[in-house]
Amino acid sequence: MQKKNTYPIYFALGALIIYTVLFVLPSIIGIGYSFTDWSSYSDELHFVGLKNFKTVLSADENYMKIIGNTLKFTLITTILKNLIGLILAVVMTKSIKFLNAHRGIMFMPNVLSTLIVGMIFKSILDPVHGLLNNMFRSVGLDMLAKKWLVSSELAFGSVMAVDIWRGVGYIMTILIAGILSISSDYYEASAIDGANGWQKFRYVTLPLLLPTIATTTVLNVIYGLKVFDMVYALTNGGPGKATTEVLYTAVFKRFGTGQYAVGTALSSVMFVIMLIIGGYMIHIMTKDEVVE
Amino acid sequence: MKSKRVLAMILGAAMTVATLAGCGSSAAPAASSTSETKEAASSDEASASDEDVTITFMASQDWVQDAELELGEKFTEETGIKVDYQIIPSDQYENLLLTKLNTGECADIFCGQSSVFSIVSQFDVEKNALDLSGESWAGNVDEAAAYELSVDGKLYGQPIQDVSACWAVAYNRAIFDELGLSIPTNYAEFTAVCDAILAAGKTPIYECVSDTWHHTCWLEGAIAATKADASLPGKLNNNEATFAGNAQLTTLLTQLKEMADKGYWGDNYMSNAYSDTATSMASGEYVMTLYNQGLGTEINAVDPSFDIDNIGYFAIPFCDNQNLNVNPCGPSRFIYSGSKNADAAKKYLEFMASDESLAYMTENVGKFNQLPYKNAPSAYSDVVQDFYDRYPEKIAVFQASVKYFNPQWMEMGTNLSAMFLGEMTPDEVLQDIDKLRAEQAEAASDAAWN
Repeated sequence: MQKKNTYPIYFALGALIIYTVLFVLPSIIGIGYSFTDWSSYSDELHFVGLKNFKTVLSADENYMKIIGNTLKFTLITTILKNLIGLILAVVMTKSIKFLNAHRGIMFMPNVLSTLIVGMIFKSILDPVHGLLNNMFRSVGLDMLAKKWLVSSELAFGSVMAVDIWRGVGYIMTILIAGILSISSDYYEASAIDGANGWQKFRYVTLPLLLPTIATTTVLNVIYGLKVFDMVYALTNGGPGKATTEVLYTAVFKRFGTGQYAVGTALSSVMFVIMLIIGGYMIHIMTKDEVVE
Repeated sequence: MKSKRVLAMILGAAMTVATLAGCGSSAAPAASSTSETKEAASSDEASASDEDVTITFMASQDWVQDAELELGEKFTEETGIKVDYQIIPSDQYENLLLTKLNTGECADIFCGQSSVFSIVSQFDVEKNALDLSGESWAGNVDEAAAYELSVDGKLYGQPIQDVSACWAVAYNRAIFDELGLSIPTNYAEFTAVCDAILAAGKTPIYECVSDTWHHTCWLEGAIAATKADASLPGKLNNNEATFAGNAQLTTLLTQLKEMADKGYWGDNYMSNAYSDTATSMASGEYVMTLYNQGLGTEINAVDPSFDIDNIGYFAIPFCDNQNLNVNPCGPSRFIYSGSKNADAAKKYLEFMASDESLAYMTENVGKFNQLPYKNAPSAYSDVVQDFYDRYPEKIAVFQASVKYFNPQWMEMGTNLSAMFLGEMTPDEVLQDIDKLRAEQAEAASDAAWN
């Protein structure tokens, strides 16, 4: 019999030190820099208090809109990716022909580089020469041919739609794994009790899938808050002033123009928002989860 | 048990040594090649070391012409040095370049839009670029261009483009003749020409907002403000004047918006791409576009039946302007100060500034008629010469004459597109230019702003 059933703490020290030095420390230093006038224009560094945060939260600037865009993007893509992913996962666990081929096709967009997907869709969504509008025109649906990526009204929706198209296959795959891990005993028992398809889904699949949905939600929220490449490739924050600008495209631009301190202040604000959302979400989604 | 521990220690030590040796391997040949150079090693040895060198070259998509890529292949054949061209979409280039410079990870050669102000405030060339004053070609650079690329008498860049070419309205001469139109000499005549073209079922102007930078080039028409008050650039640089409230600049933006609102740019100007200009003009669907001299050659390249001289030019007629806008320098090449391949990069610049290369570029790039080097040939066509002769007065663009203007080129492009979409007014765009200039000046501790 072993006297100790846990490993000593120094086994974890190596990983902890590396994690602290490479992740925790830079984050803390970054927050520290957001209270300075750090920029590429000067080598000198001065403490400026909350000036950068005042700029970020000022009504005269676009930053609040950018934070709002990021949250909107996160909320909508998370809900729709989960919803569509769940529907697809349920369908893709039924006995249908060429099941693996269907699953493969649905997962395929996720294998492609985001930048490539962005460039392909930039071409597909071109108002005049794009595949989508030409398809609408060819079947007489001219009124549906819109300026998808270059009008203030539609650009953000178009970006989110492309992102959902790309990401839904990944979510579907995780949910399929979740559904397949549910014991068939539950379905047999519910069938004996006379449950129909919807009732089986509502009272067996959904509750037992909740931990998996919690996982996909966390993944989607983290992705949504950190989204960069899809927006960068499709609109680069445009058209016009910050129509589709999200946090990381804005931070990238601030670093590009040498305004490091404002960039880090923006990141710090988003870090706090992420912390609150993440903590709250995990608390809510794990308190009622069903344990087999 | 003990022997296992000893074995493990020996293996561990061997791994550590191997890892350290791996880290040092790249430094060793570099050190030896330096000593070889010092000892004037034979050319065979030098070329053998060059064969392993690949220089990285970073530029915006329209700054590296096909002819330069061909010369790059020739350069590799002659020297063994490979060139990795990293061509970045123009709407993303500036952010990426400055991010790379600011994080110390730039390519061996980087390109940048240059002026005596922006090379300091934007690129900080004294820190980020190598002094090229001692290079064999440095004395050949045109004096006006060299001035824009120098700090304290040291030359930091090498011009890429023909700077005699300016942004002007290029027009299809055959369609003008067909519709009985003549070159406009003021804004009213310009709108009349556009209306006539619209009435004929064609789109007057090919404009491409998606690239973010091209529609901003209409602001070269700001020379009208300099024409009205020659002291304006100086006042702007001394923080004694602002963009907002300036009559000519307000008119310029109002007229620019009117172009978009009246449908003179067609329906797809927000999505159009600069790279499609020649194809679009060749189709005959569009009649005019804002371009450098040499568009005829580029259209001819995509449609050989299109006569090169069928494209003529006239000055940007906003604010009734009748003068040529000139930029003494334009995009230029710089060698990154942190480059590990600085010698190879210098060889590339030397190769590009040779008599043969300059002649090749002039011959093969339509818009290059007179590169800014004393050893470059001249190749103006009659149409282009006629255009230059028609406007004897030349005025320097704001890009070159006004501080903190060029660094915000892409922001201005974004604001202008917001103006076209109705999100901003011309006054707000001008106020934003003042605000961004003040921010840059403050960060740079400019005495005029503090």
